[in-house]
Parts: sequence; structure tokens; C-alpha cells
Amino acid sequence: MARASSNRRKTVVTVLAWAIGLLIFFPILWTVLTSFKTEAEAVASPPSFINFHWTLENYAEVQSRSDYFRHFLNSVVISLGSTVLGLIIAIPAAWSMAFVPAKRTKDILMWMLSTKMLPPVGVLIPIYLIFRDIGLLDSLLGLIIVLMLINLPIIIWMLFTYFREIPGEILEAARMDGAGLKAELLYVLTPMAVPGIASTLLLNIILAWNEAFWTLNLTAAKAAPLTAFIASYSSPEGLFYAKLSAASTMAIAPILILGWFSQKQLVRGLTFGAVK
Amino acid sequence: MGRLLERWLPKLVVSPLFAVSLFFVYGFIAWTVYISFTRSGILPNYDFAGLIQYVRLWHTPRWYVALTNLFVFSILFIGVCTALGMFLAILLDQRVRAEGAIRTIFLYPMALSFIVTGTAWKWILNPGLGLEKVVHDLGFTDFRFDWLVNPHMAIYTVVIAGVWQSSGYAMALFLAGLRSVDDDILKAAAIDGAGPWRTYTRIILPNLRPVFLSVFIILAHLSIKSFDLVIALTNGGPGYATDMPATFMYSFAFQRSELGTAAASAVMMLATILAIIVPYLYSELRETNR
Repeated sequence: MARASSNRRKTVVTVLAWAIGLLIFFPILWTVLTSFKTEAEAVASPPSFINFHWTLENYAEVQSRSDYFRHFLNSVVISLGSTVLGLIIAIPAAWSMAFVPAKRTKDILMWMLSTKMLPPVGVLIPIYLIFRDIGLLDSLLGLIIVLMLINLPIIIWMLFTYFREIPGEILEAARMDGAGLKAELLYVLTPMAVPGIASTLLLNIILAWNEAFWTLNLTAAKAAPLTAFIASYSSPEGLFYAKLSAASTMAIAPILILGWFSQKQLVRGLTFGAVK
Repeated sequence: MGRLLERWLPKLVVSPLFAVSLFFVYGFIAWTVYISFTRSGILPNYDFAGLIQYVRLWHTPRWYVALTNLFVFSILFIGVCTALGMFLAILLDQRVRAEGAIRTIFLYPMALSFIVTGTAWKWILNPGLGLEKVVHDLGFTDFRFDWLVNPHMAIYTVVIAGVWQSSGYAMALFLAGLRSVDDDILKAAAIDGAGPWRTYTRIILPNLRPVFLSVFIILAHLSIKSFDLVIALTNGGPGYATDMPATFMYSFAFQRSELGTAAASAVMMLATILAIIVPYLYSELRETNR
């Protein structure tokens, strides 16, 4: 009796949760659907869900009109570049904080993370001026550097929370067996650290991929990644929903797919390690 | 030599980072603060000019619009996200089926750039196309939902989009908090005959105090920084009705080339955020050092 009612309750709750999930997912779904409509169908009323004339012409159009693929590549280069550069700097630091903590390590970490909360407008003008003077405005390199610096505190924090979970006894055991610093790093820590590094990589690629403030402020036509491109596309072109949706769909597809296949890492990453 | 290296290497890899952050964050902030005390226009000018930019800023009607919007937006955004997030977390805490997948869907809006997902929102909120039109077609022709183009209501569309983006995120943080409540306490409460309502209000929610605090801090700083939402949805319009401090600053720095005024507005935002996070950090550090 009790079991039956709790089972029914579970079904009700599950249905409710999925209904809300669908509601939340609707704008994303709608973007994808609209991208396969013609412009006329995209603004048609009543709107149609699946029984419209499916077409790929928006994708071809977006590409031929504005060289979409170049902006896509810019996004890839910027997010991968800033992430890899950040990891190279952050891994040694997080390693030393996790395994050789000083008295103030925790304070330093908290402080670093707190800088991430400051509004980026606080450092925008100096960076803009410096970039203008040394010719880094509208360049991929400039964006890679800025995004790396902006996300560095998060990279270090994430790596730290992962590294901390590696049991210290393993290190002691390795040392007892006569492993030096090099062997310790190469054969003991690295294999155990790979999952944490991979999740941090994923999180940071997403953050850099979505970055809009810096990309909008520091790029023009040449180095603009997808966010800046789509922001510029939406205003002067008027209400070309279907084409805008096609551009948007291609921009969110990598994250949707990447996120779905690494759900645990995505959740943990976005919540900065709070949700395991 | 090896031993020495082993002892100093950890400090050696942390300190440059420390130096870079210190310079990058505080050096540049100091620079911004200095510019806010000059007459910088399209080009920076480093002659000290006192409070002139602040006087100008506080005489700009648009700045008051941005501040009012920030105020309205933050209160609604933080309040609704917290309430909805808590509700969703309690819902998912009932051990629903396929929880991982639902949780991911709830988090998707946060994982995607609003610049991009804003496309669909512009359709939904467009009175001639989206929700209003669909309801009209259903026969309810009196239905009005033209907030997006109504200067008095447009800021609320930004709130709706913000809530859509962040409540799943608040949910994830609350859910983690709910799961970390000690099972023994819950069992003891059940034995003492506490129903689900009493268990939640008397035991679980008070236990979540630290989670509430961090959700508040995260949402508060998100709302002060909010930039993509406005740019993607209304681009500050109609007119400048949905300007927020971040877009105000952006438009003064790059569209109107008034670096000094822009810097002054940035300093005001920095001060606001500091007023929120410094007490938080202070209490947090006192906790961990105890």
C-alpha cells in the first residue's frame, strides 16, 4: 500500500519535473526548429511545430553571406587557446596548493575566486587602451590572453577541488618506494589528475565559448567569434529569424552535445565544484 | 639542490600567478579609478580633474534609468530565481526518474550564451509573432503582452529571460545543499513524527543557510554584471529604457567615446560589488580559519 502510493507519487513528480524541463528547453528547441524553416514560415501564424517545409537554405545563406565558418573557427581557436594556456599556468599552481598547502593557501584561493566576481567593466578601459596601443584589438591573440586571465581563477579553483580529492597516502606510498619528484608527477599524480583536468577543460571551453562582454568590446569584423558575430547579425539585419536561428543553432550545438555526454562534469563545473 | 627545489617549487609556481592577478585586477582597477578623475574623452587624458566626471555622471538622466533598472532587475531576479530554484530542487529531491538528464536540461540555459538563446526569446516576446499572437489566435483577443516594446515594461522581459537562464543554476546549488543534510537528523525527525512540511521548514531550510548565502552572492553579482541579457534582448531599448550599468558603461566608452564618464560608472559598480562581497569574504575567511 505504502509502496504503491510512493510509486505513484514518484511518477507524478517525474512527470511534473519533465514538464518543467520541457518548458525550460522550449526556447532552445524553438531556435533549432526555426532554423529549418523558411523566413516566411518562421514568422507565420499560427506557428508550426513540425509540419513545415524543412529546408537547409538558411545554413547555406548564413555561410555565403557572412562567412560563418570563419567566426566559428575564431570561437574554436579562442576557447581552446585560452583554455590550454590557462591550464598550463594553472596546473602547477593548483598542484602545489593541493599537495603542499601553506598556511594561507585557502585565503589566497578565496581571494583569487573573489576577483572573478568583480565586474569586468572595472578593467575594460585599461585593457582597451593597452590593446589599442600595441595593436591587439580585434586579434585572436588578444582575446586568448584576456579570456585566459579572466577565467584563470576558476581554472585554478576547479583543479584545486579535484586535486584535493587525490588521496595523499598514495603520494606517501610512492615516496616510500623511492619515487622522486619527477616519477611522482609523471606516474602517480598525472593519471589520477586527468579526469579533473578534463572537466576543467570542458568548463572553461564553455565559458570562453559563451563569453560576450570581452568579445563584443574587443573585436570588430576580423577576430569576432560567434557571440560577437550573432550579436551584430541580429540588429542591422532586422528580423531574419530563420537565418539568425540557423546561426544560433550552429553556435549552441557543440555545447548541447558536449554537455549531454559529460553531464556530471558539466554540472560540477558550472557550480564550481559545489555539486558532485 | 633537489631538496631545495622540492621545497621552493610549490611557492615558485604560485607566486607569479599571485603577482599577475594582483597586477591585472588591482593595477587595472586603480588605472580605471584614476581615469575617472580626469577629463578623458575619446583619448585618455591623465591630468587630474577632480570629481568632474562623477558630477556629470550623477547629472545624466540615463544613469538614473540604469540604476533604477538594476534595482528592479536584481530584486526580482534574485527573489524569483531563489524561490524557483528552491522549488525545483525540492521537486528533484523527491528522487525523480532520470534525474541526471533533467538536471542537465535545467542547467542548459546557463551553459549556453544568452546572446545566442536570446534569438528565441525575441520571437516569444515579440507581440506580433510570439506569445501574444498565439494567444490572440486562440481567441483571446484582449490579451496584451507587448512588454518588449513598451518602455515601462521592457525591463521585466529582461527579468523573465534572466530567471529562465539562472533558476536552474540556483536549483543545482540548492539540490546539492539538500543532499548534504545529515540523514540521521531526518530519520530522527521522522521518528518524532514530523511531516514533510515541518521537516522542510524546521530542519532542512535552516540547515541550508550557507547555501542561501552563496546563491544570493552569485545571483547578486550576476545581476550587477548582467550585460549579455540586455544586449541580446533589447540592446538597451526602447530608447535607453532597459539600460543597465554595464551597458551604460559600454555605450559611454565606445559609442559616445566618453572614457572618463564611463570609468566613473565602472567605479560606482565596483564599489557596489565590493560592498556585497567584502563582508561575505570576511565572514567566510573567519569561518575557515577558525
